[in-house]
Amino acid sequence: MQLTLITIINVLVLSSMYILVALGFAFLFSIMGILNFAHGAIYMVSGYICYQLAVEWALNQWLSLFLSVILVGAFGLFLEKYCFRPFFGNLNRTIVVCIAIIIILETTVNVTVGTLVRSLPAFVPGILRTGFISVSAEKLVTVMIGGSLLAAMVWFIRRTKLGQQMQAISQDVEGAALQGISVHRISALACVLACGLAAVAGCLMGAIFNLSPFMGGHMLLKALELVILGGIGSVGGIFFAGFVIGTLDATLPLFIGGAACEAIGIGVIIMVLLFRPQGFFGREAG
Amino acid sequence: MVEKRLSKRNRKKLIQPGIYAGVIIVLSLFPLWIKSPYWTHIFILTFIYIIATVSLRTITISGQFPLAHAAFMGIGGYVAAIPSKWFGWSPWLTIPLGAITAMGIGILIGYPFARLRAMYYAMVSLFFGIGVLQVFFVFQRWTNAYHGLTGIPPLLSVTSKVPYYYFFLGLTVVCLSILYRFEFCRIGMTLKAIEQSHLVASSVGINEPRYRVLVLAVGCFFVGLSGGAYAHYVRALSYTSFDLLATLWLFMYVLIGGIGSFAGPIVGTALLVIVPEFLRGMKEFVPYISAAILLIVVFVMPEGLVGLPQLVESWMKKHREKRAVHHAS
Repeated sequence: MQLTLITIINVLVLSSMYILVALGFAFLFSIMGILNFAHGAIYMVSGYICYQLAVEWALNQWLSLFLSVILVGAFGLFLEKYCFRPFFGNLNRTIVVCIAIIIILETTVNVTVGTLVRSLPAFVPGILRTGFISVSAEKLVTVMIGGSLLAAMVWFIRRTKLGQQMQAISQDVEGAALQGISVHRISALACVLACGLAAVAGCLMGAIFNLSPFMGGHMLLKALELVILGGIGSVGGIFFAGFVIGTLDATLPLFIGGAACEAIGIGVIIMVLLFRPQGFFGREAG
Repeated sequence: MVEKRLSKRNRKKLIQPGIYAGVIIVLSLFPLWIKSPYWTHIFILTFIYIIATVSLRTITISGQFPLAHAAFMGIGGYVAAIPSKWFGWSPWLTIPLGAITAMGIGILIGYPFARLRAMYYAMVSLFFGIGVLQVFFVFQRWTNAYHGLTGIPPLLSVTSKVPYYYFFLGLTVVCLSILYRFEFCRIGMTLKAIEQSHLVASSVGINEPRYRVLVLAVGCFFVGLSGGAYAHYVRALSYTSFDLLATLWLFMYVLIGGIGSFAGPIVGTALLVIVPEFLRGMKEFVPYISAAILLIVVFVMPEGLVGLPQLVESWMKKHREKRAVHHAS
């Protein structure tokens, strides 16, 4: 009973955080056509900013989470204007820029904070107990924040004008521009949102797990898996793939070793993609 | 006019082999000039990575972008290292074994992957590369992937690095000549046709999947060779040399040098491996140098370093025209 409940909570934590990061990655990919390999590094840096503010400078932890999201969002604005816009539509050169950003961010963290593993204190310390069951309050709060943010994002994409403009651009850039949508402004918005979502996930995951300068690589991989498996340009697909991968990651280690479980997960993804290259819900693309 | 153009082409025909021969001669005289074992080591590593990057570019001429190349290097490395370390096989046997295993796996995945194109191909091969790394972890007992496999038997039983230097120089020259011939023979032309339009290519009777598997096999063979040679030269393997970031770094070497020409990956690898070594004194700030090189090249030179002479020429031309206009007015 206890084990089942904890597994369910773990599934929800992992899937909601994966989806948060992957949603931003998918925005950048479908709107600007950029494979942002620096997304994991941005996720890592936001955790470290939160650590610096909350632990070193002893600010309120929720305030430092907020400030970290704002800072990383502003960094997203900078990225869009000076790193992605000059290379619009040239995948090779944006990959080079992304690698340069990864190197700069990781080196900066190494130089300033150091390579030792750090950890953020829990946002909500304590354990909830009812009867036989006890649950970490931290994880519940993480699920709640992640879930509400995701609901807000879906509402934003489906219902607001800006969200619909984003959808229009992801379907056809030229057609959207002909309708009077400012492509650059929407790209900037997408970039800020992507970085902000990654920042929220980075801070929350930093409090549950540890911070290390190289934790971005794992998350980047998960984001790639979600976006490709779910299907490019499909928000529902990302949610579905997020639950699938979150469930695999949270339950398989109960039965087999960590490396074997990763290998099985990757094998499943490759098999799915060989038979359905466009992912579960993706549309056909050239 | 026609004569002039012909003579220019003839001159180019002479210049290119001249440059290659000059570079090889200078490199073979290099150990006489520089005695430091450290720098000899850096040059040997550069040779190994040049084989890997040039084979990567050979695959990309067919329009495939495999993001698993470092994983194939890892297959070559571990398959060469494990029998040699645990069963005492000779390195001269295990290096070709590693290369052939990498080629075999390349062929095996080549057929199902030939269904995929462009972005999907890149993504599936990326996941394949990660999967290979996880398989190394699963066979922890043999590969010791977490802590690093050490104590691999050396290729040559010498303490000096100079024999290694000549061995790797020779190996690089042989591999690059084969890959050069491969690219500019009929098969290479066919691959370029597939890259430009796979529909037109298959409409004139080219068996597209077969050629794509063929080029993948050739690329994987050479990268497996470089991985095996790396394992027996460095004598220690760590999984971080073969993960996603390592693959992306191999791509960086190709893109910075210029993906459009054969010399591109050679120049790019030489620059990105050797230049940061000059600045070793900066310790943990060294990665900034690599990042700066990447950013400068990507913002200033769209064709990569190989496009630099043309870029300078066009700048000079523009400058001259401006001056001419200035004089006229």
